[in-house]
Formats: sequence, C-alpha cells, structure tokens
Amino acid sequence: MSDNAESLTVRQGAAAPTTCEAGTTVGLSDAVVEARDVRRDYGQGDALVRALVGVDIDLQRGAFTAIMGPSGSGKSTLMHILAGLDRPTSGTVRIDGQEITTLKERALTQLRRDKVGFIFQTFNLLPTLTAAENIMLPLTIAGRKGDRDWIDELVRTVELGDRLTHKPAELSGGQQQRVAVARALASRPTVLFADEPTGNLDSRTGEEVLRLLRHSREALGQTVVMVTHDAHAATFADRIVFLKDGAIAHDCGRLGRDEIYDVIKSLEDA
Amino acid sequence: MVRIAWRSLISHKLRTILTTLAILLGVAMISGTYVLTDQIDRGFKEIFTDAYKGTDVTITRESPFSGQLTGAAEGLPQDMVDQVRAVDGVAEAFGYVSGMGAVAVDGEVVETGGAPTLFYSYSPTEIAPPQYVEGHPPERPGEVAVIQKLAQDKDLGPGSGITVVTDAGGQEVTVSGVFTFAAQSSLGGSLLIHTTLVDAQQWFDMEGRLSEIDVKAEAGVPAEDLAKRIRAELPANTDVKTGAEAAADQTKALSDAIGTFLRPVLLSFGGIAVLVGAFIIFNAFSMTVVQRRREFAMLRALGASRAQVLWSITGEAFFMGVLASVLGLFAGLGVAAGVNQVFQAAGFDIPRSGLVLQARTVVLALAVGIVVTVLSAVVPAMRATRVPPIAALQEGAELPPSRFSRFMPALAVVVAILGAALIATGMYGPGSTLVRLGTIAFGAVLVFVAVAIASRYFVGPLAAWLGWPLQKVSPVSGRLARDNSRRNPGRTALTAAALMIGLAVVVFVAVLAQGLKSSFIDSYDRTVRGDFVIGSSNFMTIPSDTAARVQAVQGIEAAVSLDAQQVQAGNGSLQVVFGLDATAIRRVWSFDWFSGDDEVLARLGTDGAIVEEQVADALGVERGGTIAVTTAEGRTAELKVLGVYRDPMMLTGITVGSAGYEALFPRPQVLMVVAKAQPGADIASTKRAVETALESTPTAEVQTSEEYKESTVDLVNQLLTMVYGLLALSVIISLFGIVNTLILAVFERTREIGLVRAIGMSRGQVRATVRFESIITSIIGAIMGIVVGVLFAWVVTTRFAGQGITFSVPGVQLVVFLVLAVVVGVIAAILPARRAARIDILQAIHYE
Repeated sequence: MSDNAESLTVRQGAAAPTTCEAGTTVGLSDAVVEARDVRRDYGQGDALVRALVGVDIDLQRGAFTAIMGPSGSGKSTLMHILAGLDRPTSGTVRIDGQEITTLKERALTQLRRDKVGFIFQTFNLLPTLTAAENIMLPLTIAGRKGDRDWIDELVRTVELGDRLTHKPAELSGGQQQRVAVARALASRPTVLFADEPTGNLDSRTGEEVLRLLRHSREALGQTVVMVTHDAHAATFADRIVFLKDGAIAHDCGRLGRDEIYDVIKSLEDA
Repeated sequence: MVRIAWRSLISHKLRTILTTLAILLGVAMISGTYVLTDQIDRGFKEIFTDAYKGTDVTITRESPFSGQLTGAAEGLPQDMVDQVRAVDGVAEAFGYVSGMGAVAVDGEVVETGGAPTLFYSYSPTEIAPPQYVEGHPPERPGEVAVIQKLAQDKDLGPGSGITVVTDAGGQEVTVSGVFTFAAQSSLGGSLLIHTTLVDAQQWFDMEGRLSEIDVKAEAGVPAEDLAKRIRAELPANTDVKTGAEAAADQTKALSDAIGTFLRPVLLSFGGIAVLVGAFIIFNAFSMTVVQRRREFAMLRALGASRAQVLWSITGEAFFMGVLASVLGLFAGLGVAAGVNQVFQAAGFDIPRSGLVLQARTVVLALAVGIVVTVLSAVVPAMRATRVPPIAALQEGAELPPSRFSRFMPALAVVVAILGAALIATGMYGPGSTLVRLGTIAFGAVLVFVAVAIASRYFVGPLAAWLGWPLQKVSPVSGRLARDNSRRNPGRTALTAAALMIGLAVVVFVAVLAQGLKSSFIDSYDRTVRGDFVIGSSNFMTIPSDTAARVQAVQGIEAAVSLDAQQVQAGNGSLQVVFGLDATAIRRVWSFDWFSGDDEVLARLGTDGAIVEEQVADALGVERGGTIAVTTAEGRTAELKVLGVYRDPMMLTGITVGSAGYEALFPRPQVLMVVAKAQPGADIASTKRAVETALESTPTAEVQTSEEYKESTVDLVNQLLTMVYGLLALSVIISLFGIVNTLILAVFERTREIGLVRAIGMSRGQVRATVRFESIITSIIGAIMGIVVGVLFAWVVTTRFAGQGITFSVPGVQLVVFLVLAVVVGVIAAILPARRAARIDILQAIHYE
C-alpha cells in the first residue's frame, strides 16, 4: 500500500540514505520472485493480527537481499510466504514465473525440492546423519544423484574438510551452520532463503557464514534472501528491504552499518 | 502437586488414553475372568438348586471316588423304593434311571458341543415334575420326551420319530412331548431326554435297578432328620444326602472344575496382559519424564522439593490407574461375554446366569490396576526428581543418567539367573502343582524382565541389520527409520519387549502343540497296526457290540474293542484301566515294550496287567510288582504287573485282558474299536462297508488311520486357536505401546520432521519413515519373542520328554508370526505416521 508506506518514510525522523526508495521497486527485469499485494492475517475478530498489510516486491535473480525490520514487522512472515512455507491471506507470489500460493501439497513438495533452499537460525541438522549425509539429504530425499563436481565444490567452499564424517553433535555451531548452507545449496535452488542465519552464532563464526552466503552469490550466482535484525549481517547484502507494521518502509541498495542504524532509528522514531 | 498431576493428564489426552488402555485391557481380562466364572458358577448353582427343589433327600449308590469314564454305577435295587417309602416321615419317594447317550434326527447325530446328552426315566410321582409345554410325558416303551431346545432346533413335536443311541445301540422312538427343565429351555449345551423306566433300564443295562431315589418329606419333618432316619434303614453302600447337600455337591464338583482349571488359565492370560501393560506404562513414563524435564526443572526452580516432583508423577500414575481400573472393570463385562464367545466358537457351550459382579472382583480389579500402574511409574518418577533446577534455563538439557545405569548389564544377568533358577525349581523341585506352576510363571516373568533390560544392548545392531533392506528399498525413509530406532535403544527395547511377551507365549504354545501333534502321530504310527478307528462322535462311548458287527464286515481281518474305565490306584491317584482281547489285539496293535514282550499278553488272565511306563513310574511299580485298584462301584483287585510298555498318547494307563476287565467292571464301556482290513482289501470301500454295518448306531464314527490322526490334530489346533484368541489381547496391548512410543517420538522430532519437509520430503516419505521405524520395532519384538518362546518350549519339552511331547519347531508358523508382527507394526504406525505427516513445517522449525 503505497500511501501507507509513504507515511512511514524517513523524512519525519532521521535522514534516510539517498539510495533508499520509499516503498519498493517492482517490475524489475529478470525478477525471480514476484510478490503482489501480499496480505497475511492471523486470528480473527478481536484477536485479528495483520502481519502483512499489502506487500509488493520483486527479487532479482542473482541478488543477495536482506529483509530487516523490528520485531513484529512481518519480516519472517514475508519470507515464509515468499518461500512457500506459509500461504498469504490474499495476494500472489511467483517463483520463476510459477504461481506458488495456490499450489497443492504435492506441488509444494516438488517446489521445495527444485527451487527453494533453506537455512535456519537453529541449524536444524538431522542429528543421526553425518555432515556429508546432511549435505546430501535434499538430493537423497528427491531421489537424485546430484552433480558430483558441484557437491565437491560446495564441500571445498564450506571448508569442512575432515569433519564431513562427523555427526552434528560433534561440530561447532559455525560448522553446523556451514553444513546447513552447503545442504541448502546442494540442489542448486532457484532461491536460497536464510532465516536469521547468524542468530545463534558468535560474531566470528557468524562472519564465516555470511562470507559463505556472499560467496555463493558472487561465485555461484545464487539468489539469496536473508531475514536478519543484525545490521552487520545486512551489510553483506546488495539490497536491504525494511519492513514496519507489515508493510515495506524502505527499499535500499547496499548500505554500510551506520547507514543501516540510521534507517532503523528512523523507523523506530516514526 | 496433585493439581499439577491432574492437569498434566488432561492436557495430554492422547498419551493418557493410550497409556490407560494398556493397563485397562489387562484389568478387563482379570475382572472379566471373575465375572465369567462367577456367572458360570451361579448358572450351575441355579440349575442344580432348581433340579433338587422340593427334593428333601436323595439316595444313590456310594462310590469311593468320582471321576470321568467311570461308567454307570451299579445303582440301587428297584425294591429299595418301597423300603424308603416305609420310613417314617417320607411323604413320597420315587426312583429313576439316568444315563448318557446321544440323539439322532434323520440319521444325523445332534451336536452338543461336547456337553452330554442326558437320559432320565420319567416317573409320574416325580416331586418337581418338569413343565410340559407340548404333549405328555412318555407313557409306553418306545416313547420319549425331549427338552424344548432340542425340539426347537430340530423342529420336533409330539409324533416325531427320532433315534436314541445308548450303549445298547440305536433305537427308533417316538416323541410324546416337549418340556422345559428348571424353567430353562436348555442346560448349556446339554440335552435332556425323558424315557420310561423300562426303556431306560434296558438301554443302560439297569434291569431291576435304579440310579437314584428322590424323597419328599412329610410336612414338618426336617430334611436332615429324614436323611438320618433313611440312612439308618439302608445298607452301608448307599449314599443318603439332603436335596440341598446334593445340589451343593454337584455345584461344587463343577465349581471346582472351574476353580482349578478355567479360572487360573484365564487369569494367567490376564496376568500376561497386565505384565505387558506394566512394560508399556514404564516406557511411557520414562519417555514423558525425559520430554518434560524442563517442566520439572522449572517446578524445582520455583521451590518444589524432589519429593513433590515424585508425588506429582506418581499422582499422575495413580489417577491413570484409577481411571484404567474403573473402566477396565466395566470392560471386563465385555471380556466375559467375549471369552464366552471364544468358548462357544471352539464348541464349549457353558451355562451362565446374568451379570454377577462380586465385591471381590471390584476390589481386585482396582488393586491390580492401581498398584501396577503406580509401581511401573515409580522408577521413571525417581529419575525425574534428579533433574537439577538449572535445567529449566538450559536448552536441551539431558536427564542425568540413572545412578544404576552402569549396573544394568549385571542386573540383567542376575535377574536372568534368578528367573532360570525359579523355572528349574518349579520344574524339578517339590511342592504342589499350583506352587510349582506359580514358581515357573514368576521365573518366566523374571526372564522377560532380564531380556528386556539386556535387549537395549543388542537392539542397536539388530535395528541396523533389519533396517538395511528398508534402506535399500527407500534410501531416505529407510535410513531415517533405521537411525531413529537406534537413537534410544532403551526405548525401542522396551517397546519391543512388550510385544515380545505376548509373542513368546504364543510361540511357546505353538511349539508345544507342534510337539504334541508330531509325537501323537509318531506314537500312533508306531503302535497302531489297524486301518480303521471306530470311536464316538460325541466324546461318549459306543455300543458294546460294535466290534462284533465290524468283525462281520466283508474285508475286515480283525476288529478289537478297547474298553476303558477309571479306577483309583493304591496311592489314591485316578488311573484308566484299558480292557482288550489280549489275543486279537496283536493283529491291530503293536506294543512298544519297555520290559516284557508280546508273550505276556497270553498270560494276562484275570489279574495280570501291563502298564504304561509313565503310569508305572507314577505308581512306583515295575515288572513283577502289583497294583491295588478300586473301581467306582467299590470292587477291588490286586493286579500283577507282567510288563511295561511305552505309549504316551493312546493307552496311557493300566491295560488288562478281557477276563481281567470283566472281573473288575460289571459292564463293558467301549472307548474305541480298532479294525484291520484284510490284505489287499480296498480301504475306501471297506470303510463304506463298515459304515453301512454301523448305520443303526449313528454315534459310531468310522475313521481311517489317516482321518483319525487328522481329527486329533484338528482338536489340538482348535485348542490352539482358542489360546491364540486369548493371547491376542496381549499383542493388542503391545500394539498400543508401539503407537504410544511412536507418537512421543514424532512429538520429540517435530523440528526434524519440519526440517526434512522443508527441504523437500513428501508427506508419503514422512509416513514411510514412521512406518518403517514401527516395523523395525515390531520385528525386533517378534524375534525376541520367538527366541524366548522357543527356548521356554525347549526347556519344558526336555523336562517332559517322557510324557510324549517332543521338541518340534513349527517353522511355517514362526514365519507367520513374523509376518503378523510386521502387520502389527504397520497398524501401530497409522496414527503416528499421520500425525507426523500433518506437522506444520513453519511451526515445526520454530519449535523448541
């Protein structure tokens, strides 16, 4: 909703960086994810919560996009809807031109196998499988052999080396999350969604994971969408989308840490 | 704390229901047993009380003992009635003759499901005459009256022609009337037939004699006094009782049969079910305590003492026990009806009265349910008290390992040794049968516990091995299932152990039955040289002229009667005396001599006997010794043992020649006739010829050796089916255990399931994972059950090898059990698998 977004622009508070647009840019060429007028309500009657009040967003192929916003802004909801984990109350989402909000269970499963990769805050590795087996899991689930060279390259990239045969319990948090990244990339998804990937890591291991994500975008051309509230993490992104009260407040290009703080501050003041 | 326990139960409805069901079914089986046996008790009591209503005194011939196969007692002289009438205070006295036989309608013997067909002579002066609903009592020879059930079933009425079959053969008679007895249209499965006194005396070889005299006292004369007066007048070999005593004695005889056989047998099935339930409750509480460790830590952090945590959990178990017992008590009424159905299906029709719920049943059901549930929960509850309060603040805090965990392997060994020692004591040690059986059962329970404790150490490798083919079939689901079942070996082990118990007993029984069948066939083939066995189709005897009639058939070389009656031996034990033609028997029978040889048969005379090895052992005699026997009629003899033979299946008793038998028993009582065809005669056509010769005795059933063996094997199978039916309950309970474990496991792994779904696992694959885990668990249980069951059977058959049960493993059946276990696994997985597949991915990945 553009008028709503307008009212939330930064001019009322601290100055926003010039690279930011009020609202968001849609109609990009080569958009891999296109969301239109996405709304999501929870509950009903008095308990009705409008998590998303009408979001339009396009995500460019090969771009690393960060979604930021205060708690309750709807950033996680938006990501879940974009990834097909949740259905919007109304609105449409296309991935690679395919409408996903109306997909049946079977087709959604297929979508997860082919087009979407996930990284979770809490790693979510299967404790009974080794690191290598966890990486291969999406391919095994889909009953595919996978591209051996690609897997080898991934394994090299995540720098696990001799720890590949270890169970998750024997790995550090950073190592576990790197396994999760490799797992998400194993099936070469169209879009990689990361939900607070550094949330459970200390700053040094968090940095390693972020570099890895950045690397996947640089070297492998991977489209990455990351939800985070960590300003440092967002500096790795090409584009930062700020949400507030269920709508996009700002849509910015690459920002430094201080600029991000400014935007956040402007949102809080608003 | 009580409120916390209650709330916890309420908020975990499914878990509560499943765990409660596990103990509920066992309680139901136990209370059902009491309800059913009480109903049967009262049913018989009502029948006998009614039968003796108005009868103040009964007079019968005294018998030194009572048992089966005793034949008609010699009875009382007919003129004793007049003697009794003359006694002061007697208002009325009448005598009658009773006996057992069969009825055939249109040439077909009426099946009674093993119950007897009873004949009574009708007396016009009867004290409590039966109610005639149609026609009139038999007045002339050749007339009979039948009980209403028979008339209804076979569409009979006054004027219908039927055949009655007794020891005297088949007789064509006419129905004169239809009656009800003691207000019952039937007596369980038994049939009642009224005849005239003359007919009954002729059919049952009782000319001039009576089976019983019933007396009615004059008004104001107490029955006890009258009985005393009559007793003083009559010879010593008569038994004079009041009607109430007679009713009580007859009820007691049947009640004892129920009390010493039916009730313990059913209770042991209930006990097995409760044991399985206890395993499941223990497992369920162990699992939930682990899951709820943070809740307990929180309670502790808020200041709850360890005792309070303990009380909270045992309180929960107590509520559960109360719920399960109360519901189980009522479900027991259903079980009573169900077990009765099983009996009926197997051909045992038992009379029973309406609902009987004694206080004893209620108390016992509640006690068993509550005590077992609380005891099973105590050990897991103790573990819960060891959760430190700090765990409330820690993510994924582990439950501290039990202090005793490192002693577990040693404990398993100790319990196993103790169990084995108890079993050995029970089998070889002294004591009454009941004490010994109890010792063996307790030993078996300990062995089960030991195997359950030990199994956690081999469940891992076993699951890996079993999961391997599944993983080949389905790389992801198979692999995950394989890993999951090895993750908590203790949990998988306990879940499987619950199934093990039921299956071990099933396998044990199956192996014993197989041994019984194969040694019967073996024994038959070794001893019987005849081609035909003619026996009774309704477990009764056959007419005494059967052998002669078969002998006359073209193509028959020899036909020999085997008579049998019970006697009391010198040491008080009841034994069967077989009588046979010692010369003719050699043509149809070959004795497996232990000492002596065929030559002794010719020297049996009137007081010579040959004895089966086991019986000789039990009586403590050998060749050259003597056995003192007393018949039901009170005749005694000293039999000289001329030889000892081995025959654990057929002639298991004391065998005498015809002369010896006649000296002991006033009349023959033919158990079977063994006949041999002439060399070269066609078996099938000879059989038809024998059947034609015996047409007038429809109860005589002609079977070839093969058919006879088959029908005996069928009988064992029938019994086996009944036992399986009763054991099915335990298997069903263990199925609930698997469901419970899987649901808790799915709940624990919510996040993992969400994850694999998020990265592309289909619902079908998730379901398959749960199903495979279930199958792995159930096959482990089946394997343990088969191993333990076969082991038990081996031990028992080794002990009782001499009594004719060999150790023989029914391979095909074991495979069937394994397949059954897979089916149980698949069924148990349905609900948990559905739950797992329905897990919402979004919620799951944010789930802690």
